[in-house]
This record gives sequence, C-alpha cells and structure tokens, in this order.
Amino acid sequence: MDKNQFLQSFAEQFDETDPSAFTMNAKFKEMDEWSSMVALMIIAMVDENYNKKITGADLRETDTIEQLFERVAAK
Amino acid sequence: MEVRFPFSLEGKTILVTGASSGIGLSVCRAVVASGGSVIGVARREDCLKEMENELGAGNASYIKADLSLDADIEDITLRMPEVNGLVYAAGITRLAPLKFIKRHDLEEVMNVNYFSMVLLLAQVVRHKKIKRNANSSVVLISSVAQQVGTKSSLLYTGSKGAMSAGSRVIANELSSQKIRVNTIEPGMVQTAMASEMEDMLSKEVVEKDMKQYPLGYGIPEDVANAAVFLLSDASRWMTGQSITLDGGRYKLLD
Repeated sequence: MDKNQFLQSFAEQFDETDPSAFTMNAKFKEMDEWSSMVALMIIAMVDENYNKKITGADLRETDTIEQLFERVAAK
Repeated sequence: MEVRFPFSLEGKTILVTGASSGIGLSVCRAVVASGGSVIGVARREDCLKEMENELGAGNASYIKADLSLDADIEDITLRMPEVNGLVYAAGITRLAPLKFIKRHDLEEVMNVNYFSMVLLLAQVVRHKKIKRNANSSVVLISSVAQQVGTKSSLLYTGSKGAMSAGSRVIANELSSQKIRVNTIEPGMVQTAMASEMEDMLSKEVVEKDMKQYPLGYGIPEDVANAAVFLLSDASRWMTGQSITLDGGRYKLLD
C-alpha cells in the first residue's frame, strides 16, 4: 500500500477542506467537514481501492490518517 | 352460530421467504402462534431445520432454496402445496454513497429484493399455487426507506421503492382472483441486518438515529404481527396498500 496514494484518495472524499490540511498526522475527525457521510465514503473508498472492509469501529478507534492507514494495511 | 375470530390463521398455510432469520423467522413463529401452518424458504438448511424443530413438524416445514436462481424458484413452485398466503421477507442491504455504486452492487441488491420477488410471484401465480377466490393474501416486506432519502441507502431504497410500486400493480392484476397484495414498510428493526448496518456506521450514528424514534427501534415481532393481520381475514377489504411501522419516526415531529 502506498501512503501517498492513500492520502490522496482520503482527501478526495472531502469537497471543502483545503488540500493542505491532509497530512498523515492530521486528525481527520476534528476536521469541520467530517460527518457520517464522509465516514461512509472513506469506508467505500477503502473497499473499492484496496478490497478491504473497514467499519465504523475502525474509524472510531483511530485519530490520524496515519493510524487509519496502518489499520487498513494490517487487514 | 359459530363466530370465527377474524385475526386467526387457522386452516391457512403460508409460504414465507427469508425464513431463516430476522423478520422472516419471526413471521413463521407468528403464523404458527396464530393457528396457521408455515412453509419456510431460505438458503441455510440448518436454520430452517431449527425453525421446523422449534415450531413442530406438524405446523412447519421448509424448502431450501436460493431465490437468486430461477431453477430454485421453479423447485419451490413445484414442491409447495396450494397456499393461502405468501410473505416475501427475503432481503439484503448494502450501504454505498452514490459515487461508489457499480452495476454489480445494483444487480446484487435488486436481484434479491426485487427481481426474485417478482419472479417467485410470477411462478406461484402461473402454477396456481395460491388459492383463488379464497381471500388469499400476499405480504411484501418493503421499507420506510423507500418513502424518504437516507444518505448512502440508494441500493436498498431503490429496490424497496420498486417493490412497493410493483406491489400495487400486482394487487390490481390479482384482484379479480380475490388475492390481496399489501406491503409493510418498517423503519429500523433490531435484526442481524441492522447490526450489520451498525457495524458499518458507528455506534454514535446508530444511537443518534434511535433517539429519533419516539417509540424506539422495532423488533421483528412488531412486523410479524402486522403480517398476521394482513394474512388474516380481518384485512379482507385491504389491497394495494402499505402499512408503515416506524415507531413514529417520520410523522411525529417535536
């Protein structure tokens, strides 16, 4: 799994957040645009790009994009 | 003069799809509790056997079948006796935002929730396996989702919309044979399907949603009891209708 590709795909699920806000250390749930809809998009993106299933629990239990990346990579 | 309790299903045989779990299984139990006998249809034979054991072989039997296969639908139609009612409770759900939806996802959900419902009813009617002119009843388990627009529910909502719209056409076509067709449109009911949704979303989202139900989430028995009413002679003047069961979620406002 490529970190940059993951970061880019993650950012693509947002419409209004400034692209510079997306770093591996960014706490994604603290972003103004974060919502249950964006959460569903992230789940769908991981499924489509990596053929891996993550759940609401995975998002709840991670804070940074890096942590989520590691969790997806471990699946 | 003997007065028959109109809500009784005594003497009635009902075919139930999706009988291995959730609402379908609950309908099987309610049919037997109301004096009827049931034929359960599902893919998982162990669950069907368990249902038969629980309800007693005299009251319950089953046909193992995969409704996505035409051969299995034909097999059901050939093996089933003439019935007084049919409950279509087989269904699946998938959450996906619009931009992630692919033809494969649409086909998967539409297949079980709509195509198989139409194709099963087509064969049952063609082979005259539902009693004519005897107040027979078809009950389709749709969803309140088809009345609203919940984010990410397009796959499911579209399939249930097709089911609800189609039910009125089927009701009209079968009315001359006095076969009634109605839908039940439940809100969130606590089943394995709902747990799957909870797993995909998050506990917080589900808790927030639950708070919007003045009477809380439903249980499968709530839907099964409405199905018994629609199967019974108590609803003999009702066809082409839907019953919304949502604990007050969409009509009661703060």
